[in-house]
Amino acid sequence: MAEIVFEKVGKSFGSTKVIENLDLTIEDGKFTVLVGSSGCGKTTLLRMIAGIGPATSGRILMDGKDITHQPPEKRDIAMVFQNYAIYPTMSVRENIEFGLKNKKVPKEERDRRIAEYAEIVGMTPYLDRKPSDLSGGQRQRIALARAMVKKPSVFLMDEPLSNLDAKLRAAMRVELIELQRRLGTTFVYVTHDQIEAMSMADTIVLMEKGQIQQIGSPEEIYHEPANIFSAQFIGTPPMNVLDLDGGVRFGVRPESIRMSAERMDGMALYRRGHVITREMLGAELQYKVRLSDGKTLMVRSENDRDDVEESADVWVMAPARHLHFFDADGRHIGHGGPEDLLKKVGGINE
Amino acid sequence: MTAVTSMTREQKKELGRIKRRSWLISYAMILPAIVFLIAFVIYPTISMFIMSLYFGNAMNPYKRFQWFKNYSVRPDFWVALRNTAEYTGMALVLVMVLSILFAQWMYKSRKLNNVAQTVFFTPHLVAGVSAGFIWSWLMSSQPYGLFNTVFNALGLSSVRWLDDSSTAMFSIVLMNTWKSVGYYCLIIMSAMKSIPTEIYESARLDGSSSIKTFFKITIPMISPQLFFLLITITTGSFKVFDSVRIMTGGGPGDATRVLSMYIYDYAFERNNTLGYACAAGILMMLMMVAVTVFDFGFVEKKVHYQ
Repeated sequence: MAEIVFEKVGKSFGSTKVIENLDLTIEDGKFTVLVGSSGCGKTTLLRMIAGIGPATSGRILMDGKDITHQPPEKRDIAMVFQNYAIYPTMSVRENIEFGLKNKKVPKEERDRRIAEYAEIVGMTPYLDRKPSDLSGGQRQRIALARAMVKKPSVFLMDEPLSNLDAKLRAAMRVELIELQRRLGTTFVYVTHDQIEAMSMADTIVLMEKGQIQQIGSPEEIYHEPANIFSAQFIGTPPMNVLDLDGGVRFGVRPESIRMSAERMDGMALYRRGHVITREMLGAELQYKVRLSDGKTLMVRSENDRDDVEESADVWVMAPARHLHFFDADGRHIGHGGPEDLLKKVGGINE
Repeated sequence: MTAVTSMTREQKKELGRIKRRSWLISYAMILPAIVFLIAFVIYPTISMFIMSLYFGNAMNPYKRFQWFKNYSVRPDFWVALRNTAEYTGMALVLVMVLSILFAQWMYKSRKLNNVAQTVFFTPHLVAGVSAGFIWSWLMSSQPYGLFNTVFNALGLSSVRWLDDSSTAMFSIVLMNTWKSVGYYCLIIMSAMKSIPTEIYESARLDGSSSIKTFFKITIPMISPQLFFLLITITTGSFKVFDSVRIMTGGGPGDATRVLSMYIYDYAFERNNTLGYACAAGILMMLMMVAVTVFDFGFVEKKVHYQ
């Protein structure tokens, strides 16, 4: 159990400042996901918590205790690396046991814990195998068991699923969520994958260029994006953003747009559009639509809702509550309003 | 499927022609290597074995056939063998340990390390004979001997490096270590560099001390290269010749008379003993084969391959 607090933390590599003046609180017992594109500083933050890439300025507190300069082995943490960092010369058992041996945990206790956690990750039959005989998914499980067996207060995970195939990744995602619920431990999880972030997190910390763009639950990030970056990072395809006058922009998610040959009532956005492409994705259809002013929009719709043909000329519409407004600096003003902006969106009134 | 089974005779002929051609080309490519192997390894080995069965000298090796008489070795063979073992043991330990230590020290990329790598590697480029001469001057007991001059300046007493039977062998080992450590160090270092940093970070998170990390992670992970070193240093040291010939000539007494010196002496410095030299050469070869087979049979089990 632990809460982690970053206070005015900075990190530079040589003269390159990666992170500057960052404040962040990671809540105790929560599944926190640090998400952002590569180079945004998320892994740097994680390594600071681990103590393997110390902060160059500011303080990091764990349960109120300053750990900024504490060596990693003194911190009550465990980490799972992207490439698992399994010790290739040791058997599965030795891999799991290594940290415990170093902590001078007695033999019976070690054996008991190894048996327990090997069972949890389903690696009991493989304990005496060498990692080179095992698949990627199994190595991943060793890395997990090796982390869990230390019973840390904080679990750090650096893109642990990115080397797995799509099917296994989806399965492991669910397992990790279950695991976190069962252990009740603070999880800090780094990923560049918005789907992982959305599906696993209690709290998402969205980062870009060393700065936090937004902190919130998946629902908040999706429904109340703090800025255009946030709005466009989450969601596939990203939110469509169009200009209004005076630098103000408005956005609408592809899945909130309705399309039809007939003009529907009760919408706030009305545009004429021409369907350029139509992709059948199974349960959904995805369209690229060119508006009369030349701008293109992405549209997503369940295929029993608005199914239009390629090259069709259609009405492109969206209700007021799904329109997000952003000021000239890209900050979110609100959605579904204010009234004066909503009026400007309106479009073709016929 | 049917296309293959219903091949016409013409097609079969064509396929056979292609097969024969690629067979010819592949043998033509390894032909030079085979010719060299036969001319410079297999033929000399066989003729050495035949000579070892004769009484004779370098001018006339086949004076009298005498079966395996030359193989009933003389007492001085055992001296030479013991000296060789002593040399090999010392060289193996010293070169291995120093290569690992220097590699561990230099593998981090720092400016100093680039310089250090060059400094360590350069001796490897010096010809063995030249290196032997340089070091026999450095170790000389004459007033120009640099080592003793420095020792004396520091208030230490002189060491009779190559002139004392108790230090001569070690002095030669020292010279050859200086000469080869940079090369082996480079091999170890590149192996160390290939270990992912995450593994070290993981070990730190697991609370492993640097000593423990070194023995439990670094050493096992570079074991293939260590095994390579074991084989090359052992076989190389077994054949040591030029440095001994230049620096001590086998002396003082018989203190540094190693097997290859023994063979050289009997082959070219004495009369009518070529058969002995050849017999010793065959025995030396068999011992090297035995050691290598042992290494591959037992030691290699401890080696971790990725």
